Parts: sequence; structure tokens; C-alpha cells
Amino acid sequence: MIPSIPQSKLFKSSFRLYAFIFFTFLMAPLVVVAVFAFNDSLFPSLPWQGFTWGWFFSDAEPKLGLFHDQQLYKSIGTSFLVASFTTILAVSLAVNNAFLFERKTFPGKNILYMLMLLPLVIPGVILGVSILIMSSTIANYFDEVWAIDIEILRPGLALVVVGQFAFITTICTLIVAARLRNFDLSLEEAALNLGATKLQAIRTITIPYLLPAIVGAAVISFFMSFENFNTTLMLVGSDSPLTITLYDRLREGATPVINAVSLLLMLASILLAFANYFLKGKNSSIK
Amino acid sequence: MKTIGTANARTPIKLGLLLLLCPILLWLFLLVILPQLTMLNISLQERVAPRIYEYGFSNFIAFFTEPLYWNTFLRTAIMSIIATILTLIIAFPISYYIAKMLRGRAKGLLFVLCLIPFWVSELVRTYGWMILLRESGVISTFLQYIGLVDGPIEFLYTDATIMLGLVYSSMLFMVVPLTSTLDSLDDSYIEAGYDLGGNGFSVFWHIVVPHAKPAIVSGCIVVFMLTLGNYLTPILLGGKSSLWFTEQIFTQFITRFNWQQGSAFGVLLLSISSLIVWLGLKLSRQSFSKVMS
Amino acid sequence: MLNHMEFDLQCTDIVRKFDDFTAVDHVSFAIKKGSFFSILGPSGCGKTTLLRMLAGFDNPTSGEIIIKGKSMNGVAPNKRPVNMVFQHLALFPNMNVSENIAYGLHRQGINKVEIKHRVEQVLARVNLAGSGNKQITQLSGGQKQRIAIARCLVLNPDVLLLDEPLGALDLKLREHMKVELKQLQQEFETTFVYITHDQSEALVMSDQVAVMNHGQFQQVGDPQQLYYQPDNAFVAGFVGDSNKWSASVIDILPDSLKVKTTTGLILSVSKVDNKSLIIGSEVDIFIRPEAVHISQQVTANLQDNHLNIKINNILFDGANSQLLVEEQNSGEEIKVKLPQTAEFMHLQKGDKLQISFPFQQVKTFPKELEVS
Repeated sequence: MIPSIPQSKLFKSSFRLYAFIFFTFLMAPLVVVAVFAFNDSLFPSLPWQGFTWGWFFSDAEPKLGLFHDQQLYKSIGTSFLVASFTTILAVSLAVNNAFLFERKTFPGKNILYMLMLLPLVIPGVILGVSILIMSSTIANYFDEVWAIDIEILRPGLALVVVGQFAFITTICTLIVAARLRNFDLSLEEAALNLGATKLQAIRTITIPYLLPAIVGAAVISFFMSFENFNTTLMLVGSDSPLTITLYDRLREGATPVINAVSLLLMLASILLAFANYFLKGKNSSIK
Repeated sequence: MKTIGTANARTPIKLGLLLLLCPILLWLFLLVILPQLTMLNISLQERVAPRIYEYGFSNFIAFFTEPLYWNTFLRTAIMSIIATILTLIIAFPISYYIAKMLRGRAKGLLFVLCLIPFWVSELVRTYGWMILLRESGVISTFLQYIGLVDGPIEFLYTDATIMLGLVYSSMLFMVVPLTSTLDSLDDSYIEAGYDLGGNGFSVFWHIVVPHAKPAIVSGCIVVFMLTLGNYLTPILLGGKSSLWFTEQIFTQFITRFNWQQGSAFGVLLLSISSLIVWLGLKLSRQSFSKVMS
Repeated sequence: MLNHMEFDLQCTDIVRKFDDFTAVDHVSFAIKKGSFFSILGPSGCGKTTLLRMLAGFDNPTSGEIIIKGKSMNGVAPNKRPVNMVFQHLALFPNMNVSENIAYGLHRQGINKVEIKHRVEQVLARVNLAGSGNKQITQLSGGQKQRIAIARCLVLNPDVLLLDEPLGALDLKLREHMKVELKQLQQEFETTFVYITHDQSEALVMSDQVAVMNHGQFQQVGDPQQLYYQPDNAFVAGFVGDSNKWSASVIDILPDSLKVKTTTGLILSVSKVDNKSLIIGSEVDIFIRPEAVHISQQVTANLQDNHLNIKINNILFDGANSQLLVEEQNSGEEIKVKLPQTAEFMHLQKGDKLQISFPFQQVKTFPKELEVS
């Protein structure tokens, strides 16, 4: 069961075999996506037609490379825009919420905390749909009563940001609050004691302490927004973020350019993951 | 010693609290609660004439009387339960292997390896499975190459494929809590179990499983919730035959433009999801806040 | 007002109530300029609450705190001329040593050149010159202590508050830091208010010690007074090591009392300054292990307490070694200091000896009703 208890060779090697199969299962789809980005074929499937960089750099149809595909380019830009707005909103509110839940006592605090967690239980599709209904209801009302068309309430990027902001805030709040919970309050008191005002103490001591969590939450938030599909699908208008564009292409019949985009996405995500991992490692040493 | 509150500085504290409360209340009300209430409201409206609506339960009655809706719903729930159980069965040995049988670098490395798929978009992961499983895909070609089958085989668009995709995309949410909980089980408990005459099975059943129970429960709840609300995997791997409930919701809203019916489905999905979470928590006597974080 | 010049810190009738629990109960004291004042008490006695009120993190329900003649009521913690060394030091982990020390100076808006100069000066005074660029995590436990103190002293506070800062150190370092703290205090001539539950810290370092229990000061005095002339049973029991027995008065003599312990041991004890004491009154008596004299020969001085005993156990602890002995008739167990001299080297469990101690060494206090 554990190394200190003698086990039969068979037991150990069957575990090892199982782990091997498991990780093959885990990695196979990712590896396949990466490999077929370099297949010199119009379809992401066998037979292997030879190695090419074409799906990245080629500038002519039918093998239009990723870096020359205006539609993909634009959707990556859209995703960046959405992710940036979502992250700024979600992280700001998360810091605010962390201070509220970790520092203040007020009646109904536990209930509010539960409600704050609610977006985690609401499936993404439902969250998207319900925001769509609400905003359309409001927009229709304005349209009928005052004949004002409020563009921002119609499906589009603003609503996508709103929908993602609704559930990403909860995740960011959990990350920031967890770090604030471990903050030694005497540090802030020490700052007051040395002549700082409450705001100075928070700015010079508490915020620097929270910074790894804030950056971590921002990384997670950016990533979740970038890769979100369910909520986005319900709220998207004519400008589609990357995941929506990829999905549409998948349904039309994929070419390896999707593999190329996916490979870049994977590399970026893994880079982010490492950045996040590194940050976590760093702040645990502070403690 | 636990007292930080200041007795004579009432007003500024109240003001500070208010400033912190405002944003979250706005967010919660406008983006979470109000949309759900609007959805509930719409779901209770039935069309009596063009553009004329009245309150009534016809959308919910339609759900129970139309076998397609009802069956899709049941099918989604049952497959989610099966997927949850399968995920647990597959994840447990791996978590145990990582947490208890490995040491040092190998342990950290394998754990990080488990996390990597999570950092890749669900769309990309599912796309990977499509490349592997389609008729002209890697596995089909491989089987033909080694001579096991004569012609190409289509693995996509079956229930088994959907299940595979669901289990795959849920794996992380089971492995991570299980591994960290098993890791926190001190080796000396297992050693004591053996020392007092236990064998592999009894130690596993009486020491390891009870210790891991909170993680099992929270892992199962999260996996079930995510599976039930999944949209991408059933659609892409199951194709036209997927019959997934979220797909029904999408169809009602976007294709048929029947928002009243779609809202009723939304309310139903949300209710069953909340009910299962609540039941899971009640049965295991855990707090919602703890499981979620 | 003359007395205000003499005292850095005065507290009059401080009360702090939490709902129906009184943490600090009518405490008054005054601390002389430049002295080392300790508040000694068990955990939960209210000493931390008292210190937090001095620092301004908590406010008294009633009473007044006066620092250098100025009332501190309603003065925010960042406006008070006191600084505090926190229990776990609270050195800012996101700043290096210099930045930590400069923190308070920056808040005062002092210019950078001056700050740099003063930081270097104070680092030199705590013997850590040149450590300014070190990170907090690179410092040893003792160095962290000195930085935490330097961070406060650089601001020239009227009073420095210390909240059990030695608690987290290991024994050797703690012994060393006691001496160092005392030296620092004398060098800087700042008034120190030090709270601790460790009597040795309080006795070694302080000019004055207040013993606190149940939110009240039991006795304020210099270390010798507390040790040799405790005012009450709590102080006698809390400061130093003692044998404590419950007994009842059986005879009242001109100089002394005769008492009988619950096990039947009859002893001569010092007379208590209490008119209400009569024969039959319940008392608590205390005798320090080091006040007991051991002898192997029978001596004839019958004026003192003379007991025949048997050694039950030898608790060897170097210079602090003790014997656990049993009085032959009553079976009462007594702790006795065992001098590490040649005379007693060969003592063994079961040996029979005589012990004696003068009645003046046995402190007597009327039995108190236990407040719980």
C-alpha cells in the first residue's frame, strides 16, 4: 500500500501499468492535436502526408495558414478584449469581496457568502441563457415603452463580458480570500503602530501581501474567459471570440489550421500554468 | 485577545462596510439572482394568442407529456450519474498511486501532469478525441494497419463515446481533491493498521476510504454538476444522436425561439442540479462553502 | 503638574468589558520615565488586552490612559507616541531590513537622506550594521528580534510596548535575549512595557513588575519584593517555585502561628497581618524549595520546623535539581532544592534525612474563595 510496507512485484507493476494507461488516455488527445498541426493534408486525419509548417505560415488557399487567416486573427483579438475586461472586473470585485468576507462582520454574512458561491452551481448554459433573457427583457421594455434601442443589452461582446464576469468573480474571490485569510493581522496593526493610516497600511502592507493571489486570480480569470464556451455561446453576437469561431469551423469540417491554433493555445495555456505554478511556489515561501 | 473592534469608531466602520457591500450586492442581484428570477418568470408564461401571454404551467406540462423532452432529461441525468461513478473508479487508483506510492520528484511531476489537460480548452480536448475516434481517425486507421479489422470503423456518435468524453473532461475535478486528501493521510495510520494485524483490503476499507470520504463526496458533486451542464462534449462527440438536455435548451432558445419552453427547461435543469448538490451535502454532512473551495 | 514629568505612562482606573466578561478590572498604575516595567500573568489574565489598549488597538470601557501628560482617549493608534514589538514580531515580509525600519519614518514624511542616515544609525546600535539589504527570511531569530525593536526605537517613542516577543524562541536564545533586551533598554533609555507569562523574563529584566490575574493587578513591586514579600497567595504561588499546602490555624503565638495541614503535618509559620485570623481559620501556606535546609545529622534546634523525611525521588536537573521527599508521620510530600555539593552527591532514593526551615520562610495567607 505504501513504500514502507512490502508488496508483491505484481501489485506494484500493475499499478505502474495502470498509471501508464491513465496518462496515455490523458495525453492522447492533446498529443494528436499537436501532431496533426504539422500534417501536410487538408484534413486532420491519417494518412500522414508529410511534415509542414504550412498551417502556420502559408498565405494561400486552400492551406491558408493561421497567421494569414484574418477571421482567426480577429477572433483571437476579440477573445483578448473580452478576457481583459472580464479579468479587470472580476479581480477588482474579488479583492473587494475578500475584504468584505474576511474583515467584516455583519448580519447575513453567511447567507451572502453562500449566494456568492451560487454561480458555481449554475451550469454555464443556464447562466448564459438567463442573462440573455434578462437583458432582452429589459431591452424590449425600453424599446416598446420609450422606443429606445439599447444596443449594449442585445447579444454581443458586452453581454459576453457580463456573463463571464458573473461566474469568474466567484472563483477569483475564493482565491484572493484564501490568501487574505492567512494574512497575519498584526502586520497591519504594526503598520498603524508605526504611524500609518488605515489606507496606507492596506496599500503598503496588505496589498503587496495579496499581490501573488491577485496575479494568480487574474491569470485564472483571463484563462477561463479565453477558453469559456458555454456561457459565451448563448450571449455572443456578430463578433465571435476564438472558441466560438473554432466551434463553427469544427462543425463545417475541420482543417489542420484548427490544430495549429489549438497548439498555440495549448502552449500559451501551459505557459500560463507554469507562471501560475511559479507564483504559487513563491508565495508559499513567504509564509 | 481576539478583539480588534473599536468601540468608539462606529460611523466610519459602517461606511466602510457599506462601500464593500455595494459592489457585491449589485453583482449578485443583477447578474445572478435577477436573471434566474426572470427566467423563472418567463418559464411560467404560456402563449394564448400571438404576442399574448398568460401565467400558467403549460411549459412544464409540455415537459412531462412530451416523451422526447422527458427522455432527454432522464437520459442526461442517468448518464451524468454513470459518468460520475466511472470517473471516481478511474481516478481513485491514480490519486492513490500519486499520493501514497510515489515519493519526491515523481510525485510532483505526475500531479502536475494531471493538471495539464485542465489548462487546455475543452474545445481543443474534444477536438483531439474527434481526431482519434472518427472513421478516418487515428485509432480506426491503426486497427486496420495491424489487421484487426478490415474496414474503417466509426467510433464517434455513440453513447460510449459521449461517456468517454464526459469522464475525460471531469477527471481533473476528481483527481485533484482526492490526491490532496489522500496525501494528507499520514503514512503511520496505514502502518498502524498493518501493525495491528490488518490486511491490504481491511486497511483500505477502514482507514483509507473513510479518510478520503469528504474528497470523494465533493469530487462527485462537482463532477456531476459539470457533466449535467456540459454542452460541448455531447454535441461534438455525440453528434445528432447526443440527446443532451443542455442541447434541448439551446434549441428552444436559439433555433426555435421558444423562450418560454427553454426557460422551463432551464429552471428544471437548475433545480435538479441544486437538488443533487443539496442531497450530496446533506448525506455527507458537509458545508457548501467547504466543498466549493 | 509635577508627577506628569516623572511618569511616561499613567493609567487610572482602566476597565475593559466584553459583554459580561471583564477583561481588565479597575487597573491603575504609573510607570517612571526610562524604566523597564513588566506585566506578568497567566494567559487570559487580561495583560494582552491592557497592552492593546495602550497601543490604541482597543479602547477602555472606562478610565484614562495618559502618556507624557497627554490623555490618549480617542487617539488613533497611528497618532500615539508608543510603538509595539508584536508577539510574532510582525516584520513586513515584503520589505527588507532597511525598508522595515524606514517604514515609520516614511510615514512621518522625513526626507530620504535623513531616513537613510537614521536607519544606519539604529542598525549600528543594535549591532546589525550592514544588514540593511537582507531579507527578513535571511535573519536568525535573535536578529529578527533586534530588527523589530530597532524598527520601533528609530521613531524615538515615549513608550515601547513588548508583547511576549521572546515566546517563540528556543531556550538558549531566550536566555541570551533577556540580557540583550535589558541592555538595549538601558542604552536607549526608553520606557519599556513588557508583558509576559514567563516569570523569569519578568524578574531578570524589570525594574518594576506588576503581577496580574483575573484582570486585576495583584501586586506591583520590584522583583525582589515579589519574590520575598508576596502580598497574596496568588503572587506567592505564581512567582517562583513553591510548596503549597492548605492548613488550619491551631495556635496563635506572639511572633508566629502554628498550623496543621490537611494531612496532619504541624508547622510553625509566619504570622499574617490580618486581624480576623482566629484559631480554626483556613490558610494557604507557601515554602520555597530553596528555603529548606537538608541535613544528615540530627540537630537540636527546635525553634524551627524540623521534619524527618524519606527521599521519594531525585529530580536531577543540574543546578535546579530537587528532591521529592515524604514527611515520615503525615506522608506530606515536599519539594526540596538539592544543592550540587559533594555532601549530597551520594544521596539515593529511600534515604532518610532531616529537613528544617525557619518559620519566617513559610508565607501564610488567609484562604481565598476561588474566583472562577
